Amino acid sequence: MVAYEIFQLVVFPGALFVICLAFLYEWVDRKLFARVQGRYGPLYTGPAGILQPVADFLKLLSKEDIVPRACDANLFFAVPVMYAALPLTALFIMPIAAPEALVSFEGDLIFILFSFGLMTLLIFLAGWSSMSRFSAIGSVRSALQMLSYEIPLGLVLVCPAIAARSLSVSGIVQWQAANATWGAALQPIGLAVVMVCMLAELELVPFDIPEAETEIVAGWRTEFTGRRLALFRMGRDLEIVLVSALVVSLYLGGAQQLWLVPAAAMFVIKTAAVVAVFSFARALFARFRIDQMIAGMWKYLLPIAVAQVVLVQMGLGA
Amino acid sequence: MAVNWARSGSPWLIHFNTGGCNGCDIEFVAAITPVYDVERFGIKLQGSPRHADILAVTGPVTVQIAHSLKRVYDQMPSPKFVVALGTCAVSGAPFRNCYCVHGGVDSVIPVDAYVPGCPPKPEAMIDGIAKLLQKIRGTKG
Ligand code: SF4
Repeated sequence: MVAYEIFQLVVFPGALFVICLAFLYEWVDRKLFARVQGRYGPLYTGPAGILQPVADFLKLLSKEDIVPRACDANLFFAVPVMYAALPLTALFIMPIAAPEALVSFEGDLIFILFSFGLMTLLIFLAGWSSMSRFSAIGSVRSALQMLSYEIPLGLVLVCPAIAARSLSVSGIVQWQAANATWGAALQPIGLAVVMVCMLAELELVPFDIPEAETEIVAGWRTEFTGRRLALFRMGRDLEIVLVSALVVSLYLGGAQQLWLVPAAAMFVIKTAAVVAVFSFARALFARFRIDQMIAGMWKYLLPIAVAQVVLVQMGLGA
Repeated sequence: MAVNWARSGSPWLIHFNTGGCNGCDIEFVAAITPVYDVERFGIKLQGSPRHADILAVTGPVTVQIAHSLKRVYDQMPSPKFVVALGTCAVSGAPFRNCYCVHGGVDSVIPVDAYVPGCPPKPEAMIDGIAKLLQKIRGTKG
């Protein structure tokens, strides 16, 4: 029994499965992005380029590790590790192979929200500790961005919890299963707001202001090389899995068995669909300016999020 | 083995103009457009020298920019490679003995692949980089 539990934590649906999924989704994202631009994308590294993210990761691991003299060494060493570990930890709360997650407790939705905030804080520290002007601008932009999307996101994520009368992600999935419905059918406005906020959380193209390559080199990650950059990239990939898992669990029915298709397969199909939406958004839009983004979030997204809460409280969509 | 495979499978480029006429730069930018789709080889254009593996240099190295070129090269983490794109970058070409020109790129930093032409076609540039990748795959790691 203990051996099986360890297997669950380490291999499936735990760490190893999730890391493979992270690499797979980076490939899916790059491939779709390329198809929208009318090209092939990664092609020669493994069959159809599927090993491209693995090659990138291995290459970065084997590169020289440069530590700038001016940087704050402790933070510079610690932040990349924490950045990769945090989404991995949070993913244990997501129901992947069954409607019940490996770890679940009443209030884990709040932990997820908190970990999103912490990710941004880590980005801020990463940029700040490297003591480069580009990193500093990138990290300040990242913090500013958080101030604008965090509030609508928090408001809207509470709505499924109100509807299901449970503050745990697994509880919300089970409520959807019991009522044979999807959150998206009841709260389409909430789903739209969450998708927009998640694009900002992941710093994907319309909101990739903190790492705008044409303006500030590579933003907050400018000074990171080798291993540390590899960890940041893996953290980002894991965060994409985390975000799509959250959207799937709260709005798209989560990991539920459908007829003969097992729950884990349904989970992979649904999260891949969410990733596809992200990569289409990335390919179709151009970057906003930071002031446009903040003004837009406060002027339009926040009232819409409040409206969704009011609707749920009035009994619509619950 | 695996390391060489990974290195040759994911070369990230950074572009540096050392004082060329922009002809090579336009061709280089053309080479990274969707038409040529260099992402097939895993090539990505990076903004920061800290993230790059291959430094693509265009233009003759002027005296003024020589130390900046050296500095950008030093900022890249090793193993790092340099491609000289265009006849100017290969040797200095018509500007070779000009009072303000230091020489070709290899007068400042070591160069791994030369692509001559004024300017070389995007196909020639991609071919040069692909040959460099073959070299990386072949070298003992
Ligand atoms: S090789 Fe020709 S096109 Fe390229 S920088 Fe020199 S003169 Fe310009």
